[in-house]
Amino acid sequence: MFRATLALCGRTAVKRFISSVSGENLLPSNLRLPSNLIGVGRQKRASPVGSDLPVVHRCEAALPAHLAPVHTWLESLGSCDCDPLGVVDLHPDVFSVPVRLDILHDVEVWQRNFKRISHAKVKSRAEVSGGGRKPWKQKGSGRARHGSIRSPLWRGGGVAHGPRGPTSYYYMLPMKVRVQGLKIALTAKLAQDYLHIVDSLEIPTPDPHYLLELVKRRQWGDSVLIVDVGDEFPQNILKATEDLKTVNIIPAIGLNVHSMLKHESLVLTLEAVKFLEKKLLWHDVRYTPLYPFKLPYSDLP
Amino acid sequence: MSASIRSMSLTVCRAARAAYRASNPATRSLSTGPCLRTESNPAEGSWGFIESTEEFRFVERLIPPSRIPNPPEHDGPAPSGWIPASASPPSLPYMIRRSRMHNVPVYSDIKHGNQHSTLLRKVEGEIWALNKDVKEFLLGLTGKEPPTQVNEVTGTIRIKGQFDKELKEWLLKKGF
Repeated sequence: MFRATLALCGRTAVKRFISSVSGENLLPSNLRLPSNLIGVGRQKRASPVGSDLPVVHRCEAALPAHLAPVHTWLESLGSCDCDPLGVVDLHPDVFSVPVRLDILHDVEVWQRNFKRISHAKVKSRAEVSGGGRKPWKQKGSGRARHGSIRSPLWRGGGVAHGPRGPTSYYYMLPMKVRVQGLKIALTAKLAQDYLHIVDSLEIPTPDPHYLLELVKRRQWGDSVLIVDVGDEFPQNILKATEDLKTVNIIPAIGLNVHSMLKHESLVLTLEAVKFLEKKLLWHDVRYTPLYPFKLPYSDLP
Repeated sequence: MSASIRSMSLTVCRAARAAYRASNPATRSLSTGPCLRTESNPAEGSWGFIESTEEFRFVERLIPPSRIPNPPEHDGPAPSGWIPASASPPSLPYMIRRSRMHNVPVYSDIKHGNQHSTLLRKVEGEIWALNKDVKEFLLGLTGKEPPTQVNEVTGTIRIKGQFDKELKEWLLKKGF
């Protein structure tokens, strides 16, 4: 057995030595895809820098002097195979922030838990019916001494330290942390090539199969979150996404970290990009609130 | 008796108000423009009034702004001692942004009454190069290299000792 383990260690050591000496950057074994996998592998799109297409949208807010805007393609939902219409400039303080995974985790956990009210409640020994009388006298019966038949030691007795009543898990992370979480999620989606900017949400048919075909053709991923500004959406896309579980549409005020992490791909309209940049960049230049921001200020975004 | 005194005082007040309005030019705008006018004789019983929203501008100008304004253009230091950041960022591998109040982000901290440290925040780029430069500068200043803690994730450097004034001047001289 000792000889077998020695032989095994020798083999793995030799393998590691060979891989380090060979010089090629092999992925670790848990990230390598087997070659016989069904379905085409996802390739990252070419960067829009240096293309001939026009820059359709420049950043409205002032850029810091040392940062350059991030570029991405502007696409259309009009037909399944459509070339990109142009290039969009995105503000680096929203779409290119340092990706703090700890903040993303905090915001996601907060989103799950702040709404939680657990209604678990069990009766304590005071609440269980009965158990007011001492079951037998203190001394002389030969049995253990007890004060009530509903103490936690007894079968049918109350629970000593059980969950007590509706408990709220409400807490609020600071507003700036939540805003930073949104910016980090947007940055991560853009960096992983899962962010798509679209000029408008007009599609030719209200058929859900059209959207699924489009998503599959363009390799957008398994689930798509579509975001637009305003109350009115085109009827076709509303009908198409109504019964689909993996393709969902939300207004821009409803954008949140949990939805962005749940859906693989994020599709924003140009209007949604402008709205998000305006709202998220305001938090970098605002005063601390004199009174809650729900009340009127002269220049809220 | 009391009713007559009351009506007399009312007429006296009204006369005084009219005289005040006539004498004080500032109230002319209030009285001549469309305003909440009441019927001159309350004894008639009908209180007709005209609604107007023109005076709301006096409320609107009191509502505070929510955005921090950009400071006006200064050539060199302002009279208070504040120095604006240079228009073009210095050609160094790192960048230190200004705080939202346009100040240099160097803060001094004291813990347990005797542990002094200086925090340098909002660092972007090569934070280790900045750490080396800070250590060299403080070696020249004090003669010994202070221990520092570099946090790459948050972009901050914590230095042992209280050097906030010196670090602020050094950074301002560099142009941050």
